[in-house]
Amino acid sequence: MANRTDPLAKNIRGTNPQNLVEKIVRTKIYQHTFWKEQCFGLTAETLVDKAMELDHLGGTFGGNRKPTPFLCLILKMLQIQPEKEIVVEFIKNDDYKYVRILGAFYLRLTGTDVDVYRYLEPLYNDYRKVRQKLSDGRFSLTHVDEVIEELLTKDYSCDIAMPRLKKRWTLEQNGLLEPRKSVLEDDFEEEEEKEENEGIADKSEDEKDHHRKSPERERERDRRRDSHRHRDRDYDRDYDMDRDYDRERGRGRDRDRERDRDHYRERDRDRERGRDRERDRRDRARRRSRSRSRDRKRNETDDVRDRDRDEPKKKKEKKMREDGTDHPDPEIAEQNRLRASLGMKPLKM
Amino acid sequence: MIEVVLNDRLGKKVKVKCNEDDTVGDLKKLVAAQTGTRAEKIRIQKWYNIYKNHITLKDYEIHDGMGLELYYN
Repeated sequence: MANRTDPLAKNIRGTNPQNLVEKIVRTKIYQHTFWKEQCFGLTAETLVDKAMELDHLGGTFGGNRKPTPFLCLILKMLQIQPEKEIVVEFIKNDDYKYVRILGAFYLRLTGTDVDVYRYLEPLYNDYRKVRQKLSDGRFSLTHVDEVIEELLTKDYSCDIAMPRLKKRWTLEQNGLLEPRKSVLEDDFEEEEEKEENEGIADKSEDEKDHHRKSPERERERDRRRDSHRHRDRDYDRDYDMDRDYDRERGRGRDRDRERDRDHYRERDRDRERGRDRERDRRDRARRRSRSRSRDRKRNETDDVRDRDRDEPKKKKEKKMREDGTDHPDPEIAEQNRLRASLGMKPLKM
Repeated sequence: MIEVVLNDRLGKKVKVKCNEDDTVGDLKKLVAAQTGTRAEKIRIQKWYNIYKNHITLKDYEIHDGMGLELYYN
């Protein structure tokens, strides 16, 4: 039978090697003409000839998910299970880049973690262009090292789910691998030296600019935020002073307060300043006040703030976050959160 | 906001809330998030019309409460 795995083949990851390709994709490959005509009765040697004729890589494409010849050959390799030496030969050969990628892909599917890292990482230095067929049928340009990167980091490529690969760090810890040595390391060292010699003066200036910008911007924002609290001058002065002191000295005497403040600051970047913060502090039971003094002050000046609120600023207060993640209905809020994480606009009510 | 029902007749029935101007590709992402399959593996059909990824639900005239067929690639 043409589709059965070689009976002498070993089990990979506990199952028939062909099962690494999902059932639906596998069926599509079996029904494709390339498989039926060209991949019938292939052996390891004749497979090499077919591999040399490849001119693009990819998974399935089109409305009815046709497989590419690349994918058919992968399934063929899983079926006949060539020896490891042959696969390594595929990878080591320099002339045919698609044969290389074919070997690399097969090794990624079937090899052990150490082997995968050992044989695939040298391919990072190969920066030749390759043609990739996307799922809508168009071709796109990519490079060999990009493909290898995808194989090593992602868990899905060319319509095949990759087996779990242990992190390099784990293998290094266990002493099975040496730390990665990049070919560009020498270049990096040279650049570092250059930088050190030239830019010692430049560097310190840059750092200063960095520091200068953020606290100033934030101080301005805080000033704007607290502008409505003028009525209670004592509170204002006290709070501002504390905050400035903390920030400048970087000591965060009341560490919790600082953390909360930073939390508020980040949220403010997304939505309206100040007023929401007031409301949130009062309404949301979740946000426990860490600092007692702030609590006391808050209770005192509640009335004052209410008075402020009744002014025309009311409209701005009601404005929700743009991505709708704080909608009153929890279901909709959750949906909006999911949509935001996928990069979509919120639900239109 | 409309709510569409997707049924694969093998036990998976999902209700998804979406906008009318979402594309079919976006709908597939939402379905993938709910069912756990990958978005690329999902195929949404209505009888023999396979819905294309780049067309909006509004253009396909998919209304609130409509049932779509869920298939896999």
